[in-house]
Amino acid sequence: MTDAAFSALASLADPSLLMMLAVGVVAGLVIGLIPGLGGTGAVAILLPVTFGMEPEPALAMLIGALAVVHTSDTVAAVLLGAPGSASASVTMLDGYSMARQGQAKRALSLAFLSSMAGGLIGAVGLTLAIPLARPLVLSFGSPELFMLTILGVSLAAVLSRGNVVKGLTAGLLGILLGLVGTSPTTAEERFSFGSLFLSDGISLVAVALGVFGLAEIASRVGQRRVTEKPVELIGGWGAGIREWLTHWTHVIRGALIGIWAGVLPGVGATAGTWLAYGQAVATAKDKRKFGKGDPRGIVGPESANNSVEAGDLIPTFLFGIPGGVPSAMLLGMLLTYGIQPGPAIVTEHLDLMYLIVWAFAIASVAGAFLCFLATGSLAKLTKVPFAVLGPGLLVIMLLGAFQEGGQIGDLWVMVALGVVGFFLKATGMPRAPFLIGFVLAIPMERYYYLTASLYDGASWVARPGVLIFAALLVVPVLWAVVKRLRKATGAVDDGHRDEHENDDKDGDELEGSLARTPWSLGVAVIAVLVFAGAFWVSGSFSAEARLMPRLVALGGLAVAAVLTWQELRVRPRGSRRDHSGVVDEPTGSSGATMLATRVEPRIDARSLARRQDLMIAVRTFAAMAAFLVLVMAGGYVAATLVFTPLFLLYAARVRPRTAIIYTLVLSAVLVALPSLLPVDLPLGLLQ
Amino acid sequence: MTIVVAYADTPPGHAAVTAAVAESREEETVVLVAAVRDEQVPEIDEIAARWPDLAGRVVIEHGDLGDPSDTVIQVAQRLDSRLIVVGLRARTPVGKLVFGSTAQRILLDATCPVLAVKPSAVDRAVPS
Repeated sequence: MTDAAFSALASLADPSLLMMLAVGVVAGLVIGLIPGLGGTGAVAILLPVTFGMEPEPALAMLIGALAVVHTSDTVAAVLLGAPGSASASVTMLDGYSMARQGQAKRALSLAFLSSMAGGLIGAVGLTLAIPLARPLVLSFGSPELFMLTILGVSLAAVLSRGNVVKGLTAGLLGILLGLVGTSPTTAEERFSFGSLFLSDGISLVAVALGVFGLAEIASRVGQRRVTEKPVELIGGWGAGIREWLTHWTHVIRGALIGIWAGVLPGVGATAGTWLAYGQAVATAKDKRKFGKGDPRGIVGPESANNSVEAGDLIPTFLFGIPGGVPSAMLLGMLLTYGIQPGPAIVTEHLDLMYLIVWAFAIASVAGAFLCFLATGSLAKLTKVPFAVLGPGLLVIMLLGAFQEGGQIGDLWVMVALGVVGFFLKATGMPRAPFLIGFVLAIPMERYYYLTASLYDGASWVARPGVLIFAALLVVPVLWAVVKRLRKATGAVDDGHRDEHENDDKDGDELEGSLARTPWSLGVAVIAVLVFAGAFWVSGSFSAEARLMPRLVALGGLAVAAVLTWQELRVRPRGSRRDHSGVVDEPTGSSGATMLATRVEPRIDARSLARRQDLMIAVRTFAAMAAFLVLVMAGGYVAATLVFTPLFLLYAARVRPRTAIIYTLVLSAVLVALPSLLPVDLPLGLLQ
Repeated sequence: MTIVVAYADTPPGHAAVTAAVAESREEETVVLVAAVRDEQVPEIDEIAARWPDLAGRVVIEHGDLGDPSDTVIQVAQRLDSRLIVVGLRARTPVGKLVFGSTAQRILLDATCPVLAVKPSAVDRAVPS
């Protein structure tokens, strides 16, 4: 096993691999600096570039980026007080306060070093997980793997932030979407409605980029610009570095929490960093300075958010169950190379696993080093408004989705899913279970049929592994019940320690902003209709192909009905209490009613902002559709030449000169890209 | 000197405020901190109306942390308070195991004396 580890290190000495790793690191750092992208954005943007590469350089690049995204996202949080990604909002609490006291360099050096250490510890964790999990993974048969897929989706649904019913609905919708296409057992087409390209199944890249990428663009184009002047980058690096050494226990604790949060599906970097912050506060004797610039409030969370990404990779590669959104995309990438994560990867591609570990470790160190060198000049990037980045990102993401199948249809699916993703996000439905469900749908079905044909009747249920997983499956359900009980009693001294945002300044105004409005009721009703439709359509399939869609549709109908009922139950009370129909405050206590009168103006401002967000999203999606029409007519480059300046001038309102230069550079990149990388541009009818 | 009260809109929470009133010296500030997640202490006027003795010397603090027990302790440490008052409610051992307890964490982590009070029988009979 050590041989494999060192031969993987030797292979990294190959200049082309190192080159890709470096490209990944730089790209990851830049993506991290830009507010609003984060790890999901990094993989989403780089994934298309890797099509056509060998798996090794592709992985080196993606892992390089993933490892450092959370190193540089601190910069915006500390200097601007606007987090680069949701997980950096924790660092903002203490980092921004420290920067305002003239110690920006102290805060940043603490953060960079902790990120580096977090990444390294994460890589060690990943390494140790391989020999530990190997015998376990190899002992798994198809029944255990089947249970694992179920466990993956349901854990993601239960552990995601917010309400369990919403998580389950999202997960089941994802599975249903994953079932579109040819059935793995009977080779008949399901839910393809006679369309040839749907019979191939929906491309993972289109789903991931649509639900996360495009939805993010649409929701951030209208983002209020950062008007605050950034804090000056002053203070000494040295003080921070020396101080960091004294907090080494927090670094290790943070990293371990991060790995654990990463291993659990659906618990991502954001929840992991809050957990780390919570434990740093809980174990501190002197809590006075937390929130006002306490170094311990920076060190732990920063270490955790880097190790989360490493922890995510553990279940992804060893069991084939993605721990988070970026790793779900990585899983999809591996599948396109024909590398099946899970038992196969530990036997056949062990070198690849170690390559990932080394790439992660090297990238963490190099990323922190580069951050120290370049923060001064790169900090300007954090001020770029998202609207300006929008068209460039859109063009690159759509090009990426085109690479997998080479079909324009994928792009339309992607835009449609972008709309779905936007509404999921706005109504507070977690999107991670959706994507994880989508990825696991086909493996789930395949493992089920393998199990059913290898074992007589239900004898597989008695296998010890299956029993253990079944028990694990019950735990989250019990936990949900306990949480419900706790809510019902609404008691004073209830509450296990859990730290989360105590205000809504987390830099993402949209998340859940449409919750408890007619919109979220609409989403619930549409979910019911989709599941009912799926149930009805699946009636025409053969008995074997029907089983899985039927089960998913029935389960989906049940949870979506519960969700609709929940929405209906909240609604009438809301409209009676408040004319705008929004109740964001907890109800039922005298404190809340007192509050409602005081908060009224803010609610009005919120509903106004919400309408504005919606309008911007509608316009952005219309622009995306217009772009696709242009692509179909005149080809990709021509469409870019028309679309980009128009979008920049009318939506982002930049100066004409900027728009022209931007467009020319983007088009030049597009023209040059096919000769540099194995990339195809969509052709139009007129070409 | 100040006294910090872990405030909640329940009988134990009210008992804690009442106890703080009794404990406080004249002109001593009583600081209320919300001890239930996502809930806030009512307006000062309402508090003063319910506990007339507190009029003019009650302050509401928020702290910077999410977890209520941490917030209470943080506020107490920042103000260098001499006492924290918490209300306890009846709990079976099993209930304790399942639900955890904010009050317990305040008792364990506080760096100043803590006064734990239970609602009197009268308070429990007439919920306010």
